[in-house]
Amino acid sequence: MAATVISRGNVNGLDNKDFEKLAVPLLDGLYNFACWLCGDPDEARDLVQETFLKSLKGFGSFKEGTNFRAWLFRILRNTFLTSRTGLERRNTSQEGEDGFADVVATADTPELALVRRADTEMVQAAIAKLAPPFQEVLLLADMEEMKYQEISEALDIPIGTVMSRLARARKQIRDHIVAASSAKKVVGIRS
Amino acid sequence: MSCDWREQVDLYVDGELEPASQQAFSGHVQGCSDCATAVLEQLELKKAVRLAGKRFTAPPDLYASVRRQIHPEARATRGWSWGLVSAALILFIALGFGWYARSHSENATLAELVDLHVNMLASPNPVDVISSDKHTVKPWYQGKLPFTFNFPNPAANSPLTLIGGKVVYVQHSPGAELVYQVRLHKISVFVFQARDVSGAGSAYGSAFTVNSWQQNGLQYSVVTDASKEDAEQLRALLEEANRQ
Repeated sequence: MAATVISRGNVNGLDNKDFEKLAVPLLDGLYNFACWLCGDPDEARDLVQETFLKSLKGFGSFKEGTNFRAWLFRILRNTFLTSRTGLERRNTSQEGEDGFADVVATADTPELALVRRADTEMVQAAIAKLAPPFQEVLLLADMEEMKYQEISEALDIPIGTVMSRLARARKQIRDHIVAASSAKKVVGIRS
Repeated sequence: MSCDWREQVDLYVDGELEPASQQAFSGHVQGCSDCATAVLEQLELKKAVRLAGKRFTAPPDLYASVRRQIHPEARATRGWSWGLVSAALILFIALGFGWYARSHSENATLAELVDLHVNMLASPNPVDVISSDKHTVKPWYQGKLPFTFNFPNPAANSPLTLIGGKVVYVQHSPGAELVYQVRLHKISVFVFQARDVSGAGSAYGSAFTVNSWQQNGLQYSVVTDASKEDAEQLRALLEEANRQ
């Protein structure tokens, strides 16, 4: 992507150096999040660059004191949703909000043991299988360690929705680990 | 599970309760095995997602690219004005910058490793896999790291004992932290791919000893508050175990 010269009015007194100081430390997290959303490193890279371009343009109207990280993730996510991949994923996402029964985590100790033994690839496969609305909430909560309020701002959804999606996402991850571990066991016994 | 507190488990592990409620829940967990199990499971799950979710790191040229987006004017002027500067001056600056960047990068890596070691010392869960048996700890890293290495073989009467290990990140790259005990001191051994983690220097005389070297494409660092000799002994054992 060609570098674009940005000109904007400094309504909040913040300049490009302030932007750099705030935004560049978030680049790794944004890129990781973008890779999960797009499923393709090249597309993720373009998405991050476009996010930086948009946020730099909008930085003049950014109000100091508001949550910059949530603002930046929100721009990235909105940019993704309007991209071709984003539209495709929205149209083909397997499971909607109503597709799941309400979930309350069980506390069986065998599950705990399975979660402990789950390897990284198994958990990555479980995250990849999540429908986008659940995947993004889970990644922001557990990987970016955002508070519910921050997630709510980043995704533009109510806090209650953040909580219910998070609970459902975790339930699905647990279920996947249990199923994958059982399948592994059966294969192990057969072979 | 019928415990009335159960609904608060998610809020508790996500740190979303008010301080007073957080404390009250902590107290409740001490006496409720159902909630304690649920909390433990959620914490394990969060940890697993955190480790698995940090799968992609931004490539260095993406950093350069967004910096160019932020400061396009620097790029525009660089082209013609520096053409007038003499070759000798450019060489001098380049050498000076190279030395500075290398030393700065080494110091930053060194500081990160010492921070990880201190973090391990202060943590109630210093390792994720607990075992003094290298045949238990080494297989645990399978699938978690994109490389492998051999563990040292201390003599039977050696005071050096393996405690366990975990996966850590330095410069956004995954690596291993092995924890050893020697008498009352703990030693961290960090192993990363040399191409990911620029060479950390060695430092003695401060509060911690850091002994670093590269071998077979891997960057090893021993960090400890034990004696310099203990660090050197562990280094020798590691070098021996990984000699090809």
